[in-house]
Amino acid sequence: MTEALLQALISGLALGGAYALVALGFSITFTTTKTLNFSHGDFVSAGSFIGLSVMLLLTGAPLRGSIEALVVHGNEQLIAVFIAIAVMGVLGIVLYLTAVRPFAGKPGMAWVMSTIGFGIILQSLGLAIWGPAPMKVPAPFGEGVIRFFGVGFRSQELLLICVTLVVMGIFDWVMRKTLIGKAMRAVAHDRNVAALMGINVNAIMLGAFFVSSGLAGLSGYLLAPIASASLFMGLGIALKGFSGAMIGGLTNPRGCVIGGFVLGILESMINLWQAQWREIVVFMLVILVLAFKPNGLFGKKMVEKV
Amino acid sequence: MLSKFGKIITGSAVAAALMIAMPAVQAQTIKIGYNSDMSASGSAEFGLSALWGAEQAADEINQAGGLLGRKISIVARDDVAQPPKAIQNTNELLDNEKVIALIGSANSGNMMAWLHLPQQKKIPVISPIATATDITKRFESTGENYIFRVSMIDRDQIALIVAYAVKATKNKKIAFIVDSTGYGQQGLKDLNQVLALHGLKPAAEEKFGGKDTDMTSQLSKIKASGADTLIIYGLADANAYVLRSMEKINYFPITLGSWANVNTPVIQLAGAKLAEKLIFTASTTETSTPKAKELNAALLKKHPKMTAFVTAAQSYDAVKLLAAAIKQAGSTDGDKVQKALENLGTTDGVVKTYQKPFSKTNHEALSVSDFHFAQWKSGRIVNYEDSVTKAITPADLLK
Repeated sequence: MTEALLQALISGLALGGAYALVALGFSITFTTTKTLNFSHGDFVSAGSFIGLSVMLLLTGAPLRGSIEALVVHGNEQLIAVFIAIAVMGVLGIVLYLTAVRPFAGKPGMAWVMSTIGFGIILQSLGLAIWGPAPMKVPAPFGEGVIRFFGVGFRSQELLLICVTLVVMGIFDWVMRKTLIGKAMRAVAHDRNVAALMGINVNAIMLGAFFVSSGLAGLSGYLLAPIASASLFMGLGIALKGFSGAMIGGLTNPRGCVIGGFVLGILESMINLWQAQWREIVVFMLVILVLAFKPNGLFGKKMVEKV
Repeated sequence: MLSKFGKIITGSAVAAALMIAMPAVQAQTIKIGYNSDMSASGSAEFGLSALWGAEQAADEINQAGGLLGRKISIVARDDVAQPPKAIQNTNELLDNEKVIALIGSANSGNMMAWLHLPQQKKIPVISPIATATDITKRFESTGENYIFRVSMIDRDQIALIVAYAVKATKNKKIAFIVDSTGYGQQGLKDLNQVLALHGLKPAAEEKFGGKDTDMTSQLSKIKASGADTLIIYGLADANAYVLRSMEKINYFPITLGSWANVNTPVIQLAGAKLAEKLIFTASTTETSTPKAKELNAALLKKHPKMTAFVTAAQSYDAVKLLAAAIKQAGSTDGDKVQKALENLGTTDGVVKTYQKPFSKTNHEALSVSDFHFAQWKSGRIVNYEDSVTKAITPADLLK
């Protein structure tokens, strides 16, 4: 039984790591621009395919070819991850300029529809390029199962957990200790005052969308060897990541990451009990948290000014 | 005797008449509609292979002089796994293309969505892929049922899988793991009922979401139940993740599955080695018989990427049976063809030689006695036989 519990914990942490990265992405844009990117899931899917395509191109395989026969080396994996992050980051800026800035702060919620629309365009483009079938992606440290006290996991799951923790640590440090972090917090607090203090609000917002979308690309790249690259995988991850953010508190990056991990572990533990109850329990919990703590477990109280 | 001018006139007249007659000759082509997913879902490979099988049968019939002195052609439409598109395709095939029969689809749900249209218009349908038990049953009580099938049937596959499991298990502990889609849920119901016919209850029954990638929690519970035999009932991609999760917890009981595992995602996602751990049902494989080998070679020459030979073979047989019925009826009239299908004599096919394949009360050309086991071996599907498969007798095939 201990073995099963430990196994569920490891599986849950791996799943939770993916949710946490997505939750952090939601938090970054929300705190700085008070908007959310509803196409975040499509950015995750697209990131996985960009990473895969870079690997295919670097190894000289056709773009829609199978990666099964390929030997992908560390260098190619490194280039792939940086390009995936960069491309998705730039796309995030495009999203901000075309679908968020024209509508943000205006009455109505046009940005909700425009970001969803951006995602649909992204997915349709992806379907035209890569087709609907999921594609297998090789893990940088191989497919073998690592055994530890009778618990089995793959290197990619460990990598995902570690990368999430490192990213969270770096982000936390940047936000609290650096000038750019202080500027971001100032913009989050009040963009007009921040502008008066000489902070380039527009640049901060562009940066927020770059980082948030880059994180989506990173999570897509990290998830692909676990869940295979698919244009339909992002939606589920984004929904759970968003739920993690709601539980932890959308305005608190640390809370978002914790919320993501909690959700992953919870899912895995419910599977150990009755898998068919998983979605019911998870979303009941989200509703309960929102009912009693509308800003999430770690969120700060926020006053909307109209 | 005609003058030169007269000759020219008659010549032109004959030529003109021929030109006018040409479209009429083309209109004489016997059109068979094909409506299935060929691009979007996990079953798209099934749909594409079945189209190629049907086209191969049509080509062979045309080379042998056609049918009732006319050529036959397959008019194909992709339903992209969406019921509304499938219905739109069916209307278009029936009303614009004036097809005299329909073949399809890869997804049972899609097929259920459009079946009533040909039934109302008295156009015979043969399903060479979809397996839901209800497909041929829906219009059974209306008197004239136009829906036939040359494919595996869920309940019959389960009868074979359970028969194997009961014979293979040493401690009488058989566990189920099924996906939460309609396919898995119906499968679970049938699995429980058939296992009960053998006087047994499952040692554990677990569920997983169709998009899940980690089933270690569920498998840990099954492992703890002590089951030495596991039946996986889900679609290809998810089944691959069940296998990957089994590897994680190092639990490899005897593992059985349905023909959903014929799809390549199983080997792409699980890897060739892991995929070999699974044995699953099939009506035919490319190595079953000399005829199957021959058809497979012919199809691979035209379509090197074809993967699901089993649906190509079933679809090939469906067109052959349809052609035999049209010949017997001496007409393409739907009503007459339906009667002929119900009264066909011996007809040669690739899956088998059919002896009176259909009757008024039976619209299934294949049944559990025609099914056997298959397995992935070095990236291809081959027949699977062991002491257990050889020991299964018709009396074991309870359903």
